[in-house]
Amino acid sequence: MFRNSWPLAMLGVGLAASATTARAHEIVGNRFFPATLAIDDPGVNDEMALPTVSASKTGDNPSFKQLDVSGEFAKRITEDFAISVAPTWSRLYAPGGLTMNGAPGFQNLETLFKYRLFKNDEHEFVMSAGLEIEWGGSGAQGVGAERFNVYTPTIFFGKGFGDLPSSLNWARPFAITGQVGYSIPGVSKVVTATVDTDTLEQDIDTEYIPRVLNWGATLQYSMPYLKSVVADLGLPDFINRMIPIIEASFQTPVSNTATSGTVTTGTINPGIIYTGKTYQVAIEAQIPVNRQSGTSVGIIGQLHFYLDDIFPNTLGRPIFANNINTGTPMLGR
Amino acid sequence: MRIIVTTTTIVLALASPAFAHAYLDHASPRVGNTVAQSPREIVLWFSERIEPAFSSIEVRNEQGVAVSSGKASGGGTQLRIPVKTLPPGTYKVIWRVLSVDTHRTQGDFSFRVGP
Repeated sequence: MFRNSWPLAMLGVGLAASATTARAHEIVGNRFFPATLAIDDPGVNDEMALPTVSASKTGDNPSFKQLDVSGEFAKRITEDFAISVAPTWSRLYAPGGLTMNGAPGFQNLETLFKYRLFKNDEHEFVMSAGLEIEWGGSGAQGVGAERFNVYTPTIFFGKGFGDLPSSLNWARPFAITGQVGYSIPGVSKVVTATVDTDTLEQDIDTEYIPRVLNWGATLQYSMPYLKSVVADLGLPDFINRMIPIIEASFQTPVSNTATSGTVTTGTINPGIIYTGKTYQVAIEAQIPVNRQSGTSVGIIGQLHFYLDDIFPNTLGRPIFANNINTGTPMLGR
Repeated sequence: MRIIVTTTTIVLALASPAFAHAYLDHASPRVGNTVAQSPREIVLWFSERIEPAFSSIEVRNEQGVAVSSGKASGGGTQLRIPVKTLPPGTYKVIWRVLSVDTHRTQGDFSFRVGP
């Protein structure tokens, strides 16, 4: 079941964009882009997400419950370049797993190298590029961790609408972020040989590992922005710290799809982010877009720490940095 | 799970007292609001303590002309600047601050003087 279920055949690739990986935050002019859960935000920063917890029912046939607990630690090397590592522990419930009895274990470790290409404070625009590597063989095969690496070059962007005219003041707290990545597995196929114990005939199963387009976006409405930039409506502080958000994350196999098919999978996640001084808490529903993406609405939550604010003079600053924590974008501002 | 709880506890323990980026908490006149009469000064309150010597406020009218009448001063989380008598109109406040933990932040907002 585990090998022949096509959504799981993409595990090694699709997990590179899974919803359980923690994400970064970014400040661009007036705009604060919070860390998001389903896709990565466009920023580069020092931070730690611990934990991110999600529970869902997979799109396999038969479907099974899956619990993921993950963390991420991101460290800036320079003002614009950061490296992050993200382990994920999974619990598959029966009938999931190789033996259909469920299984616990770590997924492959993921590492993201990310560079901020461009930042424009006036137009609240930022763009970064990254390379994510899923290290094959670092996780447990029982939970679907593959033995091969997966490389995902990705472009990230964010745009706040604070530059709209004052006649559209109501819309200025809106912002969008997005990402487009292309997952390239280190192997093109996996061949599995099994022997029928009754007939002693050998069965060769060839699974082609697809290249996958990972794409997604968020639409967010920043109450902090509304209060401090557009109009202070005298709302309670608790409300002024909220950022309602809708995230969407999709995976589309685009080549080598002989055994995987080409159906796009993904989820749409409505939720809310509460931003504190040095942390944020987020919770979202995970609505599968089709049967192959899941069989019921899941849930994901995250506690996220801004290490640049918690440890501004040590762990929270770039290893190679100026004395003042200001960015120096490569292409100007 | 034990690792998560332990690590989170360590971070929370080491994080006290924590500093953070200084964001605008509130202002007088209030952000995006209308006041009937010209204020004597613009006062900003931030979410963190700031370094007034390395912080500034500009106040400009609709033509982009500066209407402040002195230098920004303050202490703690507060920064203020006196302004000339402002005729009815819309004014833009542009602030740049350095928090005590050396993070720089900036922002702007508008307010209106008039009936």
